[in-house]
Amino acid sequence: MIAMKPFIHIIDDDASLRTALGRLVETYGFCAVSYPSGEDFLARLPTSGSGCILLDLRMPGLSGTDLQVRLAQAVPLLPVIFLTGQGTIAESVRAMRAGADDFLEKPVPSKILRQAIERALGQNDHRRAEHDQLQILQSKVSKLTPREAQVFDLVVSGKRNKQVAHELRTSERTVKAHRQRIMEKLSATSLAEIVSVAARLGRIEDDAARTPPRTSSPKANTLHR
Amino acid sequence: MQHGPIDPLRRNVLRAFAMLFIFLLVVLLDSGSATAAIVGRSPRVLILYPFDERLPATSIAGESARARLIGETAGKIDLFSEFLDLSRFPHQIHIDRMARYLAEKYTDQRPDVVIAMGAEAARFIVDYRDTIAPGATIVVGGFNHESGKMLALPADVVGAYSEFDIANTFALARALQPKAKHLFVIGGSAVFDHEWLDSAKAGLAAVARGYETTYLEGLSIDEFITRASQVPTDSIVIILTIFADGTGRNFLPKEAAGLVASKANAPVYGPYDTYIGQGLVGGNAPTFESMGHSIAGLALDAIAGRAVSDVDVPNTFFVDARQMERWGLSEKALPAETSLRFRQPNLWERHWQLILAGLAVVTLQAMVITGLLLERRRRFAAQGESQLRLLELVHLNQSATAGALSASIAHELNQPLGAILTNAEAAEAILRSETPDLTIVQQILADIREDDERAGEIILRLRGMLKRRSEIDWQEFDLNEVVAGAINILRAEAANKHVSVSAEPSLGRLRVRADKVHLQQVILNLATNAMDAMVEAAIPDPKLVLHTTLLGNTKVEMSISDNGKGIPNERLNSIFDAFYTTKPNGTGLGLSIARAIVETYGGKIWADNRAGGGAVFRFVLPLAGVS
Repeated sequence: MIAMKPFIHIIDDDASLRTALGRLVETYGFCAVSYPSGEDFLARLPTSGSGCILLDLRMPGLSGTDLQVRLAQAVPLLPVIFLTGQGTIAESVRAMRAGADDFLEKPVPSKILRQAIERALGQNDHRRAEHDQLQILQSKVSKLTPREAQVFDLVVSGKRNKQVAHELRTSERTVKAHRQRIMEKLSATSLAEIVSVAARLGRIEDDAARTPPRTSSPKANTLHR
Repeated sequence: MQHGPIDPLRRNVLRAFAMLFIFLLVVLLDSGSATAAIVGRSPRVLILYPFDERLPATSIAGESARARLIGETAGKIDLFSEFLDLSRFPHQIHIDRMARYLAEKYTDQRPDVVIAMGAEAARFIVDYRDTIAPGATIVVGGFNHESGKMLALPADVVGAYSEFDIANTFALARALQPKAKHLFVIGGSAVFDHEWLDSAKAGLAAVARGYETTYLEGLSIDEFITRASQVPTDSIVIILTIFADGTGRNFLPKEAAGLVASKANAPVYGPYDTYIGQGLVGGNAPTFESMGHSIAGLALDAIAGRAVSDVDVPNTFFVDARQMERWGLSEKALPAETSLRFRQPNLWERHWQLILAGLAVVTLQAMVITGLLLERRRRFAAQGESQLRLLELVHLNQSATAGALSASIAHELNQPLGAILTNAEAAEAILRSETPDLTIVQQILADIREDDERAGEIILRLRGMLKRRSEIDWQEFDLNEVVAGAINILRAEAANKHVSVSAEPSLGRLRVRADKVHLQQVILNLATNAMDAMVEAAIPDPKLVLHTTLLGNTKVEMSISDNGKGIPNERLNSIFDAFYTTKPNGTGLGLSIARAIVETYGGKIWADNRAGGGAVFRFVLPLAGVS
């Protein structure tokens, strides 16, 4: 089975530059998809696959910052490489604050563009792998019974069996049985593993939460880089 | 009046000859010379005319004398005139009656001076002076010395004698006709005529030596006329007197002279001023006027108590201007103080006031025109200078705008340059592959060429923005083209500021006559001003609309509207003033330069607030080709 080519999403209002970038990116062996505006991209959101976004910072319509917020919500896994006319300090700061993964000055030499794209794709792979793992963990956690989930949260917060039993007004033996089933359901062999899972799912700080965690985190992309 | 052309006068003179000697004895010599000056009353002068009042010769002389007497005494003189009527009443009985009558009449106002106009009057007063005017000074005139001698006047009688000299008349003719070679002298067959001829032959012998001289005498009037009509044109013709022609026919000399002169083939002259008007050119003689003048002079001297003695009446040259013209004779050749008779006043003389007024008007007009022309030139020079200043200012403004837009322009330029680079690198990569897709390479090359052109256009536009003018480059063009050009320049800057710029061009073309670069600058100034204002006010969705329209078939209007905060009403007028600015880095010149440019092209510019919020700047320009 042949691996899917990564998609490079080029958003630039300048048709010629858009086309040229597309051609160049294709020579790297990627699949180029170009959009004349941020709105256009948002309207045709890619469903899946690896890739990254090449975004011209100065475009009419949605401002860079607005677009960035929308992108973070819509395609959290896709790294964004900003392209800008002049790399002024103000602009780069603005771009980075808006969540740029990379910041390139036009005209971009091919080598630099390629490196940036490859780096971004690496990040994308990493993000996606992490995302997948989280999804697996999430699905495992979701299989816990409400009682087991309660025990899970209390255990990962560092409480001993006795404390847990006391809090849940049950026997210590019952707690131990719950823990055993939790270990099995999460395919964990030690307490440390369970705590790690909880941390990755963001359940440790959120000790007051009684409800199961959601499938994905909007902060995913901010954890990296 | 011895030589006067009036024959009754002459006859009387001759008739009186016999009596002359008798009276000579009676009166004898009385040397009472000058009378004492009259004191306490106006002097009395009695003028005695020998005949009646209709005789021109004496009348002219008398009037002339009266005029001088009144003039020189400022009217303080009593003048009396008596017409002796001796031609109609020549008998002694009448003369005695007249003498008695006058003696009685002037009993209480004895004259101090008696003027006798002519020989007859002279003889009368000499005869009766003791009864009519005892002690009065007797002044006589109207005859020559020779006649005077024959009258045997008393020694205390003073006279103004008239001497005729035909040589003077000839001299006049010679002066007027310097090229004449022939001289014809005409004289009648009467005794007097013969005397004149003899006298003339003697007088002319010396002076006319170089001329082929012919004396025409003893001919009939018709023969005179015929001969005169056959003389060569380079002839001088002098008519003396024709009292009678060869056939014995009698004439008034001036009428006979007229008959001859009217048919003559050359200018005709004569020694009497009474001939003037009969077709003669002129002559020289003691005139009756100057006779009166001289007589009056003697009378005045006598009144004043000055010593008086005989004088000669000055001879006068006289000419008929019409005859001068007829023969083409030059007035310049006339002797000084020639009396020019019948002179048709020329245009100048007749209408000098009108001509002067006309000239004054023309001169004034010329001065006004010259003044206006000078003023116009000065104004053009000043306008030229102020225009040059404006052009310099506009260029400064252009540079400033280019500077302000430079970041956007650089970005805009970066787009095609970036595309070129990227395309080139893509092409290289494609060509490096084992199976290069040449179709794509071809497309890439086409795109590269296109982007290069695009970059070139941007640079051209920038240069257009910076184009320096030393004078206005007048062109006729569509305003919409300029609006489109300005939007091209502004596009990058607008994108950078997230201002959406749209054009609402008129359907048809809007022909205006101006300098494209200048109108583009106006639009750029208004647009950047609006954009800056909107960015300054942090308007959420800034929009700029460039609208053009035809205004009533004679004007075009352009409006630039924004959706910013508008302009405070009290600043709507001052906003176009120089150095008015609300921007920390503004020069305050953009709008004032825009106004200066619009006004240079005969337009008007103003600012307003839109009903829906935001400001609108409008300018109108005359539509090209509409006068």
